[in-house]
Amino acid sequence: MEVISPKVRNYQLRFHGTGSAFFSVIIVNWLLTVITLGLYYPWAKANKLKYLYGETSLNDDRFAFHGTGKEMFKGFIKVLILFALIYGLLFLFIYLQMPIIGILVFYCAFLAILPLAIHGAYRYRMSRTSWRGIRFGYRGQRNELFASFFKWLLLTIITFGIYGSWMHVNLRRYVLGNVRFGDIEFEYRGDGGDYFLLNLKGYFLTIITFGIYIFWWQKELFDFYVNNLWLEKDGESIQLNSTVTGGGFFQLAIVNLLIIVFTLGLGYAWAATRTLEYLFDNIILEGNIDLDSINQTEDNFNDATGEDVSDMLDLDFVM
Amino acid sequence: MAEQLTAIFYDGKSSVPRTVHLYFDKQKGILSFQTENQEQLWEIKSVTLTSNKNSITLQHGKALFQQLVIDDPELIVAIESSKRAATTNLYQRLINYGFPLHALVALLILGLIVLSYLYVVPWIGEKSVALIPEEYDNKLGDAFFDQNMMFTSVDTARSKALNQFAQELKLNNTKKLHFTVVTSETVNAFALPNGNIVVYTGILKEMKSYDELVALLGHEVSHVNERHAMKMMCRNLSGYLLISTILGDVNGVMATIGDNINSLQSLSFSRAFEQQADREGFKIVVANKVNPRGVSNLFKRLEDADFAVPEFLSSHPMTKERIRYIDKMIKTESYQILENPKLKSLFKVIK
Repeated sequence: MEVISPKVRNYQLRFHGTGSAFFSVIIVNWLLTVITLGLYYPWAKANKLKYLYGETSLNDDRFAFHGTGKEMFKGFIKVLILFALIYGLLFLFIYLQMPIIGILVFYCAFLAILPLAIHGAYRYRMSRTSWRGIRFGYRGQRNELFASFFKWLLLTIITFGIYGSWMHVNLRRYVLGNVRFGDIEFEYRGDGGDYFLLNLKGYFLTIITFGIYIFWWQKELFDFYVNNLWLEKDGESIQLNSTVTGGGFFQLAIVNLLIIVFTLGLGYAWAATRTLEYLFDNIILEGNIDLDSINQTEDNFNDATGEDVSDMLDLDFVM
Repeated sequence: MAEQLTAIFYDGKSSVPRTVHLYFDKQKGILSFQTENQEQLWEIKSVTLTSNKNSITLQHGKALFQQLVIDDPELIVAIESSKRAATTNLYQRLINYGFPLHALVALLILGLIVLSYLYVVPWIGEKSVALIPEEYDNKLGDAFFDQNMMFTSVDTARSKALNQFAQELKLNNTKKLHFTVVTSETVNAFALPNGNIVVYTGILKEMKSYDELVALLGHEVSHVNERHAMKMMCRNLSGYLLISTILGDVNGVMATIGDNINSLQSLSFSRAFEQQADREGFKIVVANKVNPRGVSNLFKRLEDADFAVPEFLSSHPMTKERIRYIDKMIKTESYQILENPKLKSLFKVIK
C-alpha cells in the first residue's frame, strides 16, 4: 500500500507598494483632511489601509480592506461621547469636592476601556480584511478577555512589573489564537519566560554596546512574534518563519533615517514602503494547507468603535 | 462592442479559483459572466479595482466579497479606463492625477506654509496681543517676580535711588514702572511685563557714567512699553498651532521638524524685539537730553568685559552689529546734550 505523505506547498507573502504611490495617498488624504478641518480623518485612514492591504499579496492574490470612512466615522462619534462621559464624571466628582475618587474613577474607566478596545478593534479589523473574498474573523469573548486582562494586570502589579512579559505574551496568545481566516485557525505559541529573557538580554546588551545591539534585539523580537505563529486547518498547518537579520534592520534604519532627514520628512512614504517590503520579504510560510480550499466561515462586523478607541489611545495593532 | 475572455472568479464562499468567461460591455460599463448557477452582472462603477503587476483584481459586494482576477492586457486597459471615467469619488479622482502633480502640490503647500509662517503668523501674533487686556501682562509679571525674587537679596537703598533716578526721566511709559536693584555679580538686567524692571549690581559696576544707565533703562522700558513678552508668547503659540494642526496629520517626523524650526524662528524674532528696544531706547535717551554715546558705550563695555557673555546680550549675539547700528544713529539723528546734576548725583549712589 502506498503511504500518502502530506504534500508540502509553496507560499509567498509580498508587499508591492511603492513610495511614490503611497506618497500620493498620503498627500491627497492630507489635503482632504486639512480642507475639511480634520473631519476627513476616518476616510483618510480607510484609504490608507485599503492601499496598504491591496498592495500585500499571498501567492499573487491581493489582500483587501473593506472598512469604510463612514463606519469609522460613526465609531469615532461614539468614542467621543464615551470620552466626554468619562471626563464629565471626573468633573462631577471634582465639583462634589471628591477629587481623589474622581481621579480614581477616571483612571479605572480608561483601564477598563483597554481590553474592550482591543476586542472591538480586532473584531472590526479582522472582519474587514479578506483574501480571495474569504474574510478574516476574531472569535474572542469580550468578557473572557476583560476578566483575563485584569487578572494579568493584577499579577503584573503584585510582581512589580515582572509579570508584564507574561501578560504581553498571554494577551497575544489569546487574541491571535482567536483569529480565523475562513476555516483556518491561528495559533500563537510564544512563551512569557522566553519573552522576558529575550528583553532582559536585549536591554543589557544594548547598554553594553552603546545602543548598537538594539537592531539585533529588534530582530529577536520580530522572530519571537513571527516564528511562534501557526495556521491550522483539518490537521494541516502552516508555520511562519522569519529570516530578518540584525544587519538588515540596521541598514533599514540608517537608510530610512537619511531619507527622512534629507527630504525634511516628505520621504516618509518611501521609508514606510521600504520597511514593509523588507518585513514581508522576510516572512517565509511553510506547511501543507491547501489555500485553494478555504471556506468562508466568518461573519460581517461593521462597528468600528473599538478600532477608533485604539487609534485615539495609540494602541499598536498586533497584526 | 463586447469582448469575451477568461478570468479567475472567487465566489466569496470558498477560495476555490474558478475560470469564467467574461463579457465586457464598454458602453454600459458592465461586466457579465456565467457562474454555476447564475448570471452575474457587475457595474464597473461599483467595483473596487486594484492594479497588480500583470493583472487587476476587481472586488464586488458588501456582504459577500466576490472577486475577479483578470490578466488579459487589452481587457485590463479597457476596464481601467472605463473605471477612471466612472469614478465619482473625490479621493480617487485626486489620486488619478498621478505622482508628479502630487509632488508639485506637496512642494507648493510646503512653500505656502513657510511663507504664511514667516509673514502671517507674526502678524496674527501681533494683532492678537491687542485683544489681551494689559491686566494679563501684570498677572504674568507678578507671578514671575514672586517665583524668582524669593531667593535673591534686594538692595533697598540702591533700589530707592534707582526709582528716584527713573522719576527724573521721561520714559514714554503707559503703565506704572517699578525698579529693583538685586545684589548679584551677574551682568544682567531684565524687564517684566508688569512694569517691574530688575537690575543686577553686576551690570551697575560696569558703568562709568549716568548716560549708560539711562541707555539701559531706556532699552528695558521699551520692552515693557511695546509689550514684547506678550507678543513673544502670542507669536510662539500661533506658530505652534499652525504647525501642529497642518503638519500633525501628515506624520510625526514633519511635525517635529516644524516644531524645531518654530523655536529657531522665535530666536530671530526675539532679535527683532531687541532691535526695536534699542531704537525706542535711543529715542528715550535723546528725549531726556542725555548723551546717546552712553548707549554704544554700554554695549562696548559689556562686550569687552572679560566675564562670560552677559545674559542681557546673549540672546542676541550680534552685539557688534548693534553697536554699529547705534553709532550710525548717533551720526544721523540730531540731539542735544544737557548735563543733569541730579541724575549724576543719584548715579553715584546707585553705583
